[in-house]
Amino acid sequence: MSFPKTLWGLLFRLFPCPTNLGLRRIGNPGPESPVLVTCNFDLTVKRLTRALRGVDAWLLVAQSKGVNVWCAAGAEAFNTASVVSVVKTSGIAGQVDHRKLILPPLGAPGICAEEVERETGWSTHWGPVRAGDLRRYLEIGCRRDDAMKRATYGWQERLDTGLGSLFGFYFLGAVGFALFGRPLLLDYLVVGAACFAAVMLLAPRLPGRRGITKVLFLDVLLGIALIATGLLLDDGGQHVRADLIIAIIALLFFGSELGGLSSTMRSDLDPLLARLGIGALGNAAFAGTIRTELLNGERKLRYDREACVACHSCIEVCPRGVWVEGEDGRAEFARPEACTACRACLVQCGPEAIKAVVTVK
Amino acid sequence: MFSYVFMKILEGRPKSYDRWMDRVSRGRVREIKEAVAAEIKPGDRVLEIGCGTGELSSMMIARGAAVDGFDLNPAMLEVAEERLRTEGLEGRLSLLAMGVGGMDGLQTDLYDAVVSTLVLSELSDDERRFALRQASRALKPGGRLIIADEVVPRTRGRRILHALVRIPVTVATYLVSRAATRPIQDLVGDMAEAGISFGSEKRSHADAFTLVVGRKESGP
Repeated sequence: MSFPKTLWGLLFRLFPCPTNLGLRRIGNPGPESPVLVTCNFDLTVKRLTRALRGVDAWLLVAQSKGVNVWCAAGAEAFNTASVVSVVKTSGIAGQVDHRKLILPPLGAPGICAEEVERETGWSTHWGPVRAGDLRRYLEIGCRRDDAMKRATYGWQERLDTGLGSLFGFYFLGAVGFALFGRPLLLDYLVVGAACFAAVMLLAPRLPGRRGITKVLFLDVLLGIALIATGLLLDDGGQHVRADLIIAIIALLFFGSELGGLSSTMRSDLDPLLARLGIGALGNAAFAGTIRTELLNGERKLRYDREACVACHSCIEVCPRGVWVEGEDGRAEFARPEACTACRACLVQCGPEAIKAVVTVK
Repeated sequence: MFSYVFMKILEGRPKSYDRWMDRVSRGRVREIKEAVAAEIKPGDRVLEIGCGTGELSSMMIARGAAVDGFDLNPAMLEVAEERLRTEGLEGRLSLLAMGVGGMDGLQTDLYDAVVSTLVLSELSDDERRFALRQASRALKPGGRLIIADEVVPRTRGRRILHALVRIPVTVATYLVSRAATRPIQDLVGDMAEAGISFGSEKRSHADAFTLVVGRKESGP
């Protein structure tokens, strides 16, 4: 059951792949060992366990409906209640002498650390963003440098999230061609895969900050090529033109998803769907959520510096380094342009110095 | 059986939840709730674990009980609050937004009965045992625990039959709502572990559904 589940998690991430909730032992943990919290997405738990090889720790697998930390927190499926529930029901309190939880910071849009502390009596600490940094984080006494706080979107991460989210659509497309466009099936498979590789590998080098603008650049180039083949090639050009059209559509599709795959970019798809009047797909809501309204400009983050109590929660959880410490210790909204509207700071801000206010329409 | 899994789809639209549940289950979910409510006596102080839209709470209040209900789903609670206002249940029904994780905050020896329908099968094993332990603590000595839920059938033939019918429905639900419930393995055993002694059990739906009544053992 393990390998098919891993494969499913790798290729069909749009569908949840849950694993059992509760307490797990990593290595040979004792009463002093750290207690880490994660989601119940099967692949995450497996990767986390592998990243912690050689470390003795307790791992609390909390309810996230089988979805990864970032996506589940965004959809509020991985939330304060999930963490409170696993802390109280797993019996972890009887296993350790301390009361210190290490939470995944990409879960901050769903988990309010202050509430977890109030309801469980445990202190909370945000761990590193990447599982790969956990071992070092634990070795240096649970401290994080800036690099451990920031989300990255390197080529491995792009391939990983890209494959997980887009393979299903690629596969559906292949089924479509197999049924209704058999002569172009092989073209689709090759061109589609090439476009996927191009978007995922070239993304940072393409002009524009958003996924959709990045692929528009490529599409314009392909559009020019399409016109050129129309002028230069005769009958033989038809095949090439079909390939180019497949590529243009595939790129648009992959590009529009790119922003939604990472915690480093704004999502293009959710606000677009909301604008098109598609309020929800299944249980995933787009319209009416604070995140979508922030993305669509219907809301704006407003920061009341006077209300800030210099707790630095926002600085600690922002995966983009949008917030920095000012001279008087209070937070400064230093890099608004880097904000991806994940709401982590909003959820953590106890005195509600950070608000998402409705802008005048 | 289809209704338990459809439940997961409908939870996304709480306003029409009861109506649709009643339709897809052909009235069975309502029957189940009525059977649970029938166990309640006038004057009982009752706790409902996972009260949802408050339909069962309202039935129990109609029988003369006072009910404290809690649920994790805020959209469901909104419907319950509306019911509280429109049905004039003020003073008889109090609602709380929390999960079973919050049950350790409940007062000890307070309730005459704790009820729960189709909630425990949604919880993890740890959560279910915790909920039962806390329910037991919150019950007065001799108080009743009344659980209606999906369980694993007792005989092998029925287990296979149950699995065969359930698998396609579970897959369909998973694809639509991305969620599922899990029939409980040993509900009576879990209850015993929590200090609840077995009273009676009624099985239905090819042995895959149970209505169990247990009693809190009085004092050591």
